[in-house]
Amino acid sequence: MSTEIVSHFIAGYPDMESSLETARGLAEGGASYLEMQIPFSDPSADGPVIENACRLSLERGCTVDKSLELMEKIHGELNIPVFLMSYGNILFARGMKSMVQQAKDAGASGLIIPDLVYGRDEGLYALGKELDVPVLPVITPTIPAERLDEIIGLEPEWIYTALRSGITGSLTTLDESNLGLLDRLKPLKTKVMAGFGIQKAEQVRVLAPHCDAVVVGSAIVRAVTEAYNQGDRARNAARLIIEDLLK
Amino acid sequence: MSVYNDYFGPFGGRYVPEILQPPLKELELAFQEALGDPEFIGEFEEFCRDFIGRPTPLLPAKNASREIGGAQIYIKLEGLANTGAHKINNAAGQALLAKRMGKKRIIAETGAGQHGVATAAACARLNLPCVIYMGEEDIRRQHPNVYWMEMYGAEVRSVTSGSRTLKDAVNEAFRDWTANSADTHYLLGSALGPSPYPDMVREFQSVIGREIKDQADFQIDAMVACVGGGSNAIGFLAPFLDQKSIKMYGVEAGGRGKGPGNNAVRMADTGRPGIIQGYKSLFLHDSDGQVLDTHSISAGLDYPGIGPQLAALGKEGRIEFTEASDREALEALKFFARTEGVIFAMESAHAGAAAIRIAKTMSPDQNLIINMSGRGDKDIFISAAALDGENWRDFLEKESRRKYVD
Repeated sequence: MSTEIVSHFIAGYPDMESSLETARGLAEGGASYLEMQIPFSDPSADGPVIENACRLSLERGCTVDKSLELMEKIHGELNIPVFLMSYGNILFARGMKSMVQQAKDAGASGLIIPDLVYGRDEGLYALGKELDVPVLPVITPTIPAERLDEIIGLEPEWIYTALRSGITGSLTTLDESNLGLLDRLKPLKTKVMAGFGIQKAEQVRVLAPHCDAVVVGSAIVRAVTEAYNQGDRARNAARLIIEDLLK
Repeated sequence: MSVYNDYFGPFGGRYVPEILQPPLKELELAFQEALGDPEFIGEFEEFCRDFIGRPTPLLPAKNASREIGGAQIYIKLEGLANTGAHKINNAAGQALLAKRMGKKRIIAETGAGQHGVATAAACARLNLPCVIYMGEEDIRRQHPNVYWMEMYGAEVRSVTSGSRTLKDAVNEAFRDWTANSADTHYLLGSALGPSPYPDMVREFQSVIGREIKDQADFQIDAMVACVGGGSNAIGFLAPFLDQKSIKMYGVEAGGRGKGPGNNAVRMADTGRPGIIQGYKSLFLHDSDGQVLDTHSISAGLDYPGIGPQLAALGKEGRIEFTEASDREALEALKFFARTEGVIFAMESAHAGAAAIRIAKTMSPDQNLIINMSGRGDKDIFISAAALDGENWRDFLEKESRRKYVD
C-alpha cells in the first residue's frame, strides 16, 4: 500500500496566489489529500509557525470568502480531496449552517474544527450529518477511554489524531504512547489521519502502517515560507517537501 | 446562584480542544469540592486576613459626595489589598486550590502585569514555581511589573506571537497547559475563559461583595465597577444580584472615542456573540469572526471579550453598561486624589468617572458604592505622562543619565 499524506496549507499564505500555487505543488509532489486552513486571528491550537502564517495571511487581506473561493478553485482544478480546517468562531460568526453549506459547496471533503468538540459543538456534528459533510473529531493519545468510545460510537468517516500532547510544530516522538492509540483505531471502519510534528521521511515511514494517512503541517509552512522569502516559487518548495517525505 | 453554572443564559461553556477537556473537568470537580470543604475555606480566609490584609475598607467619600452634590458615595478600597489590586483574591484562591490538587507548577497570563504580580506573590508565599506569560509589547510598556514578578521568583516569558499583548499571552498559556496539564495549574486571571473559570474566579472574588454586606450599615442604591474581563465587577456585584432594588453599573473603556480600534466597548451595539479563547460571549470581532484591536489608556480594560456572566446580566438588563473615555478616567483620577486622598488605578478610575455622572442624578439620601479595584501607583508612567508630561519627561531624562551600575 502506498503512503498517503494529508498536506496542510493556509489560505492566503504567503499570499493568495502563492497559496494556490502551494496547493498545486503539494498535489504534484504526491500528497493524497489537502487540508486547507482558513486563518483565524487567535489560532490557539496551533504553534508559532502556523500562527504567524495566519496573522500574515490576514494582514495581506485574506477573508473567509476568498478562502472559500480558493477551495472551490482547488477542488475544481486538482483531482484531490480537500479538508477544511479552522476554528469555531469562524463558523459561529458567519452562522453555523450557512458556513457548513458553503464549505460543502466549495468542495470540502470534511471539516476539522478542533475547538468545537462533540457535545460542545454548536450543532456542527448534526449539521455535518444533515448536509452530508464529514466532521472530523480531533483526538490525542491522552483521551480518556470512555470519551474515545463515545467518539468511535459516532462512526465518523475520519478521525484526526494529534499525536503529541501539545500544539503543532515541534518534533513528535513516535512510540507506544501514541502508536498504541492508532493501533486501537486500526480495526475500525473509521479512517484515521495522524499527525502533529511530522517533519521527516523516517517519521512518515514509521507512522504510515499505523494509520490511513499521515498529516504534515508546520513543516510545509516552514518550507514555503523559506522559499517565498528567498524569492523562490512556493509551488516548487511544496512539491519538493512532499517528494522528500515520501522517499 | 449555584457555585458551578457552566453557562449563563446563552453565554459561557467550554470550547476547547479535546485535549483540554479532561484537565478542565478535573478543575471543575476539584473547585466545587474545595468550596464545600470548611478546611479549604479556612485556609483561604486565613490567607485573605494574614497576607492580603482583608477586609479592605469601605470608605465614606464625604468630600467627593459634597462636591458632586448627589448621592452619598462610598469607595470599596480593593486597591489596599496586598499587591495593589483585587487580582490577589483570585490568585490566592486558585494557588491554594492548585496546591490541594497536588499540582507542582503554576502558569498564568498577564496583560499590564497586575495579575502576574499577584500570581507571582501568591506562588512565592505558597512555594510554587511559577511561569508568567506576557506579551512582548506589554513587557516593553510595563517593565516595573516584570521587575516585581522576577523579584518574587517568577519566570516571565515573553510572547512574540500575534499582537504581542494580553490575548496572545492567554493563547500561549493555554498552549503550555495543553502540553503540561498533568502537573501544572493554569491560573487564569479574569472571570472568563472555558468553564469552570468564570464560576471559579467569581467565587474567589466574591469576598469583595461579601465584605460589603458586613460593612454597609446603610441602604445601597447603586453599585459601580469597571469591566475589562470583569473579575472585580462580578466579585463586587455577585452577592447582591438578588437585591433588585440596587441598580448596578458596569463601566467599559470608551478609549479615544467611537469606532473599531479606539475603545474596548463590548456591551453597546458593538460587541457580537462569538466563541473565542474557550468561551461564548460578546466580543469585538468582525463579520468573519476575526478579533479586532482594542484601545484603552488602562491596560486592564484593553481586551476584546467580556466575562460570560456579565454579558448575560447585561443582556438581561440586570446590569446597566456605560463607558468612560481615557480623558474622563484621568479627570476622575485627579478628582478623587484631590477630594479624598485616594489614587485610583486607571481601570478603577473609569468606574469613578461614571460614578460621578450617576451620583449627580441621585438624591443625597441615596447611597452609591464604587469598587476601586486597584490603586494607581502602578500607573505613574501613564498618568504622569498624560497629566504632567513635560515635568515627567525631564525627570525621566535625568534619571536615565544617572549612573546605576559601577
